[in-house]
Amino acid sequence: MTTPFLQIRGLRKTYDQVVAIDQVSLDIKQGEFMTFLGPSGSGKSTTLYIVAGFQEPTEGQVLLNGKSLLDVAPNKRNIGMVFQRYTLFPHLTVGENVAFPLRVRRRPESEVKAKVAKMLELVHLAEYRDRLPGQLSGGQQQRVAIARALAYDPPLLLMDEPLSALDKKLREEIQFELRRIHQETGVTILYVTHDQEEALRLSDRIAVFSQGRIEQVGTGEELYEHPSSRFVAGFIGNSNFLPVKVEQMGGGRARAIFPNGQAVEGDARAFAAGSEGTLMVRPEKMRIRPHAASARGLAVTVRDMTYLGDSMHFAVQTPWEQELAVRMAVGDGQGLCIGSSAVLEWDAQHGHVFA
Amino acid sequence: MPTALSSVAVPARRRFRLSAETRGIKLMLPVLLLLVLCFLVPVITLLLRSVMEPTPGWQNYAELLGSQTYVRVFFNTFMVAGVVTLITLLVGFPTAWLLAILPQRWSRLMFAVLLLSMWTNLLARTYAWMVLLQQTGLINRVLMALGVIDQPLALVNNLVGVTIGMTYIMLPFLVLPLHATLRAIDPSTLRAAAVCGASRWQSLRLVLLPLALPGIASGALMVFVMSLGYYVTPALLGGTSYMMLAELIAQLVQSLLNWGLAGAAAFVLLVVTLGLYAVQLRYLGAGRSEMGGR
Repeated sequence: MTTPFLQIRGLRKTYDQVVAIDQVSLDIKQGEFMTFLGPSGSGKSTTLYIVAGFQEPTEGQVLLNGKSLLDVAPNKRNIGMVFQRYTLFPHLTVGENVAFPLRVRRRPESEVKAKVAKMLELVHLAEYRDRLPGQLSGGQQQRVAIARALAYDPPLLLMDEPLSALDKKLREEIQFELRRIHQETGVTILYVTHDQEEALRLSDRIAVFSQGRIEQVGTGEELYEHPSSRFVAGFIGNSNFLPVKVEQMGGGRARAIFPNGQAVEGDARAFAAGSEGTLMVRPEKMRIRPHAASARGLAVTVRDMTYLGDSMHFAVQTPWEQELAVRMAVGDGQGLCIGSSAVLEWDAQHGHVFA
Repeated sequence: MPTALSSVAVPARRRFRLSAETRGIKLMLPVLLLLVLCFLVPVITLLLRSVMEPTPGWQNYAELLGSQTYVRVFFNTFMVAGVVTLITLLVGFPTAWLLAILPQRWSRLMFAVLLLSMWTNLLARTYAWMVLLQQTGLINRVLMALGVIDQPLALVNNLVGVTIGMTYIMLPFLVLPLHATLRAIDPSTLRAAAVCGASRWQSLRLVLLPLALPGIASGALMVFVMSLGYYVTPALLGGTSYMMLAELIAQLVQSLLNWGLAGAAAFVLLVVTLGLYAVQLRYLGAGRSEMGGR
């Protein structure tokens, strides 16, 4: 097997007594768009800053093409980075900003000129070359920052929540641009965000961070359909969490009991029988049927219904007075009204039991 | 045709501006009166005396700019102010940078020391330097005890003494405005420079210094202009061979009672100061609009 492009090996970072990250290990393929997703303080930015060289790990190793990055000074790592805030040099024009990394590398002026033109073309800002950053919008500034970060053809581009200062519309526009730039250049990207939608939209794979550790790594689909923990399930997408008591384990399945005594099955990892747990079901995987005729489902009361155009949103109440969210196609909710009794159902493979 | 058009447009705009200005002037009247009485009148009196005494004419200015002794005083004044400004910059920039990046606990302490020295009586501070710098002073004795020198260095009553004393006194006037400028620079801008491949030296030269330039310029001009007219420190720490303009004026007034020549000297100093101030305003005005977007 060939060595992975970028290897993050057992990183640990502590400040005084506080553990910022622990046991962070990850392999990243060349050309991959890898996103670190997690709430603030989960260690995703710390990990990125260690790769960039602004912080040193207490333990662990970072290898690029099999060679350690840790002994290399930040300005010698040849890595591109785009920051959360606009960090263009305010006294230099857009063109000079993009030329900066080439000038400090003492590249010949003809090459600098050609490269600046090419990079500004890439981010669609060629006509802004002679403007100062202050005369550009936030979105344009971040696009210049991307052009500057890519100007010296770094093998790796780090992005630390680059879109968090922008409004929603601009954010989506630049997400689209980013995908295009990633496809056109083939650069490997490490992207940090706390926005799950952004992560799903952009990434090849996502590493979900929580409390300094990686909870799960996988494609968006894997994380959504097969979350490995309650945290991942709650962080990516909407979910219903129902309290259960695990009765029996076997073959990756758990048989569990709801508080009202009804039995249910769901996917589960190793689990001690008799322990308390949580059953997670996505709102769109649930179905509500009128008439409490079927004995299979959970008897619920419809508390609220909202028409959302492409779908119908229901709030239903369980016998133990928990409110759940259900999302169905508009036609599927016929015969239901607020206050009516109904039966809630889902396929067993869509239920996930967590500790 | 364009001239006719513009001559119509200008008065309309001017009338509007004047009405807004006159309203402000009414409110400012007491302050203006104070300024006129306490500043403008004495300055004009001095200016008048410089061209009226002892006889009407420009002979005071001719004497001032024609005599080698006086030209030498001017030269000393500008040289000392220049040297002091340069050294204050060399010491002040790292100090201001340290203040900007140190953890707050330490930067507060440093600020306290800086401000405390600024608020201490000027004479007390200058005499303290005299004690430290004299032949048998602390500095000479320590250096001799360490075996660095055999003979005491002449640190006072000369240019060295003036420069040390003035630099110390001017330091806060440079550090404070410069610190404000440096604090406004986002530290991640420098991180970005490092990621882009810039060495520390390149980051300093290509990013930090250009961004700090408005603060450097305003601080340096402040120090230079203040140094030009400084009296106490040069008088006490400097020798007779490096007389500066303020000392000359004091001597002309106190010993020689030559108000005409003193007025001329004061006026030359005033014109130079105002000229430098105009340069600073113009430069900083341009600098500010350039930074506009931040």
